[in-house]
Amino acid sequence: MAGQANGPLLAGEATEREYAIKAAFLYHFASYVTWPPGAPMGAGKALVIGVLGADPFGAMLDELAKAKSVDGRQVVVRRFHTVDDCTPCHILFISASEAERLGPVLQKLGGSPTLLAADTQTAAARGVHVNFFIESNKVRFEVNAGAAQRAGLKISSKLLRLARIVEPGMGGS
Amino acid sequence: MCSTLPRRAHQWLAVCCLLATAVEAAEAEKPRNDRELAAKLADLSLDQLMNVQVNTVYAAARHEQRVCEAPAAVSIITAADIRRYGYRTLADIVASVPGCYSTYDRNYHHLGVRGFSRPGDYDSRVLVLVDGHRVNDNIYDSPPIGTYGIPDVALIERVEVIRGPGSALYGSNALLGVVNVVTKRGKDLQGAELAAEAASFGTGKARLTLGTRIGSEGDALFSASAYDSAGPRSLYYREYDDPATNHGVARNCDDDRYGNVFAALTLGEVTLQAAYVSREKGIPTAAWETRFNDRRTRTTDERGYLDLKWQRDLTEHLNVQARLYYDYAGYAGQYAYEDDGGGVLVSRERTRDQWWGAELVFRHTFADPPFDRHHLAWGVEYRDNFEQALWGRDSDVYLDERSRSTVCAVFLQDEIRILRNLTLIAGVRHDQYSTFGGTTNPRVSLIYHPFAGTTLKALYGRAFRAPNAYEMHYHDNGYSQKANPSLQPETIDTFELVLEQRLTEHLRLAASAFAYSMQDIVTQQVDPADDLLVFQNAGGARARGVEAELAGNWPSGLRGRLGYAFVRAEDEETGERLVNSPAHLARLNVSVPLVRDRLFASAELQYTSRRRTVADAHVAGFCVANFTLYARNLFKGLDASLSVYNLFDKRYADPGSTEHLQEALEQDGRTFRLQLTKRF
Repeated sequence: MAGQANGPLLAGEATEREYAIKAAFLYHFASYVTWPPGAPMGAGKALVIGVLGADPFGAMLDELAKAKSVDGRQVVVRRFHTVDDCTPCHILFISASEAERLGPVLQKLGGSPTLLAADTQTAAARGVHVNFFIESNKVRFEVNAGAAQRAGLKISSKLLRLARIVEPGMGGS
Repeated sequence: MCSTLPRRAHQWLAVCCLLATAVEAAEAEKPRNDRELAAKLADLSLDQLMNVQVNTVYAAARHEQRVCEAPAAVSIITAADIRRYGYRTLADIVASVPGCYSTYDRNYHHLGVRGFSRPGDYDSRVLVLVDGHRVNDNIYDSPPIGTYGIPDVALIERVEVIRGPGSALYGSNALLGVVNVVTKRGKDLQGAELAAEAASFGTGKARLTLGTRIGSEGDALFSASAYDSAGPRSLYYREYDDPATNHGVARNCDDDRYGNVFAALTLGEVTLQAAYVSREKGIPTAAWETRFNDRRTRTTDERGYLDLKWQRDLTEHLNVQARLYYDYAGYAGQYAYEDDGGGVLVSRERTRDQWWGAELVFRHTFADPPFDRHHLAWGVEYRDNFEQALWGRDSDVYLDERSRSTVCAVFLQDEIRILRNLTLIAGVRHDQYSTFGGTTNPRVSLIYHPFAGTTLKALYGRAFRAPNAYEMHYHDNGYSQKANPSLQPETIDTFELVLEQRLTEHLRLAASAFAYSMQDIVTQQVDPADDLLVFQNAGGARARGVEAELAGNWPSGLRGRLGYAFVRAEDEETGERLVNSPAHLARLNVSVPLVRDRLFASAELQYTSRRRTVADAHVAGFCVANFTLYARNLFKGLDASLSVYNLFDKRYADPGSTEHLQEALEQDGRTFRLQLTKRF
């Protein structure tokens, strides 16, 4: 157990704050993804993080939005009940409550320049760009680089190095 | 039955108190801490986030899953708990969990779960795994859990205590529970660690651990420890208070020493693990009518294994895990007896036990309907106990039995997501033994999440224990005990309801109610035909009980657990409460950071109610307090911890067994331990 003095979260303490950690990951992803110039969310303005379905994060995304900006951009959190409610987002987390309807959701959103994230088994294989899973008591994620590329997103190599790659992108990035 | 009413009222009162405390704490904690946590998380880098831990369990369903999704009541004890509470052995760790307790007869530690721990048994009804490798031996079915332990507790990352039947996945021994020890990786260390400790009764211990990451996919860990304890200079047993037996005082007879080595090497998909422990213990209790106050009476136990594991995702939806292992267990006992001529005869017993085995486990997920609701796991296992040797000699060799046995098994488990919030987990395993034949054991559980943060589980499972080589083949050549090779397995049927409730981000409540019925328990009896002791499938036991635990874990570093268990475990025929079966167990653990991240004060209170003894008397209930002060990074990678066990010097005793003249065996009073750990 390396002795970093970064607070109890790093002191090798098991926590139950799985979704707090996943929320923090979502914020980080924003710094490692480049959206296409013509994306409907617009550049330079606020960064939009959406949650589709039952929100497992509680107040954590909002608290993070208050605590932190991403590369100088403010973060706005939006919540959507159904896929038809969705307005353009930079990052959209598809809650496990929507896992049954993943097919239609992907059909609707798969082509738009939104980084799709989830935490349901096989989601990445089915076309979600970033999918969380738990391994050795830690939060890990897999990336479908091919699908992200098709959506016009560029994921930095630093993020890819940390991920398990489900479908590689073309030519690397 | 009437007399149980007030008792029930007690239980309800306890549960209500738990709830009230929980809700109060919830109100006070919530808003401030989300913000605090958010601020803290916002500052972490991506790499740091990758290292934050969450609460998961592996062994409940043979894959990593959240505790609330596991088909069982699960408690997790982490490395942080071990450091903060100063746990010394796996027995200490397991006994801190609701419904679990340990007894010590000054030779071995014994685990009790849900009111079952018969004196004289060797812990054969709890299966202990180290990173999934079975460590119960193949002659006594006994797992190394006390100072005879694998691996050193400092190498434990977490311990998963899964109560209830596990034979549908793991086969024999998983009757009352499965304890899975998950070890640390070399990369957790990245360097060397040197630890030294000194404790009461002339006890010293040293440990060296080395660990490193190898490239991006590799990892190596090596650790060696040596421990030596002189034990209490004198122990007094009033049963031996006679001039002929040193007035009941056993001098320097309680020594304990062990050495252990643990190594793990991971290269890509392959992990090789090697473990070895050897432990020698003096027996101060004059068990088995040996000579009182004689240092020659002692046991030596050895246990080792090599385990080669390969794991690979064959496709996105198919994972395969293969394991090949070799195991060794050895025991040597020497027992000093007075012979008829007034001299001393040292009788010796040895067992030697070797086996190898292999297992292959496949896990399937599916992308397309209708199978995308399934998570299928199946596997096969083969074990060849190629050496099971029992040997004994006093004036002549009286025991020399060699046997070999094999077991083949196949299991299947399906997790079916019936609804978004309802999962059915059904599994079955068939074990075919070369000794008694076949046994099939199912387990079914329904897991329901009615609201966010609430989980309800309903479980049924059957589990078994194969009769072991000791029970089938041990004899002393017609003097007092004979063999019984025709023993059949004992079985247990368990029903259970579990409620898990997240009360706040930081506070969790788990409660369960269970009932089990154990049949054909392998029990030592006197055969009226020849007056010889013999193991027979003779006993039955049934139990009903409840367990509850409130666990809190706050960002400030404050953590605590409050656990309570009630069980009525009784003999099926007589209706009498079982021996060494406490009705009430309560545990309170509180760990307070005195200086944030640097200094922790942790206290533990353990209450055990009175227990019936072998001779139908009772040992009194007791409450023991332990206290540990743990300083982290005191000076350039130096950690220090000071523990006081049995802080208030409470006198208490565990029930003795049939091999003891003592009704009760007194346990240690107040003892100390100082531990220093330096990282390089």
